[in-house]
Amino acid sequence: MFFHIILERNMQLHPRHFGRNLRDNLVAKLMKDVEGTCSGRHGFVVAITGIENIGKGLIRDGTGFVTFPVKYQCVVFRPFKGEILEAVVTMVNKMGFFAEAGPVQIFVSNHLIPDDMEFQSGDMPNYTTSDGSVKIQKDSEVRLKIIGTRVDATEIFCIGTIKDDFLGVINDPATA
Amino acid sequence: MSGEEEENAAELKIGDEFLKAKCLMNCEVSLILEHKYEQLRQMSEDPLNQVSQVFEKSLQYVKRFSRYKNPDAVRQVREILSRYHLTEFELCVLGNLCPETVEEAIAMVPSMKTKGRGLDEEAIEKMLNDLSLIKTFE
Repeated sequence: MFFHIILERNMQLHPRHFGRNLRDNLVAKLMKDVEGTCSGRHGFVVAITGIENIGKGLIRDGTGFVTFPVKYQCVVFRPFKGEILEAVVTMVNKMGFFAEAGPVQIFVSNHLIPDDMEFQSGDMPNYTTSDGSVKIQKDSEVRLKIIGTRVDATEIFCIGTIKDDFLGVINDPATA
Repeated sequence: MSGEEEENAAELKIGDEFLKAKCLMNCEVSLILEHKYEQLRQMSEDPLNQVSQVFEKSLQYVKRFSRYKNPDAVRQVREILSRYHLTEFELCVLGNLCPETVEEAIAMVPSMKTKGRGLDEEAIEKMLNDLSLIKTFE
């Protein structure tokens, strides 16, 4: 899910950026430093939308750098266990398939794909029901439920399932 | 993080910080990101170079999965859903997935069915009807 939240960060600024453009420099640096990053707690920072407040700068002993506490509003994407969302299938193999929902990768293992769907190898590997009516392949849109998340320093990986009511393919690229 | 183990969106256990935060529906994120992208385009020749991969992927994603395109419709969806005493998170799940039946809505947002919410099937049905009306008149 996407959220609009307020985060705080201490920004260090070199004295050469001081002057009338100090605020602009600070904001530009903040965007460069923060946008596109990911933390386990807040998820992926997609975009900074505004600056809430810039506190008083504090000179660092011995270096001349100044630290400013900056509060900013941003759009973040944070997946949660138990959340249901839509995603695009990016890769299919006999272990299961990978899908993407915005910046996050979700793996759906073949144990969590309904039992009536069989893996078919070939140019376009896919999972298909025995009557051929439902097919999951690259670029299919699926609705899935996140059942687990793994967080490391710069990424969040999710495990999902489509083995539940109202989950599964929502649009088949071949028939669309 | 001690709260990590208990996280479960189906029971609205998403941590205090996110429960109180403002959630955004895909269509709202799409409006925000497109606006920002437009601003960048006016400033530089090659805006794609300026944005992070996270931004690019998110923009593609919300464009693909936005149920409502025009800003007025987006505002109306939020207004209608906010009449039903939903939390921000529930509101956005419903706005994103646009369930068609009451059973589907409850499967998508199981927390609506917890006791004491005052949300009976009739109320949910009415809510879904109101939502589908916006879709038709968009």
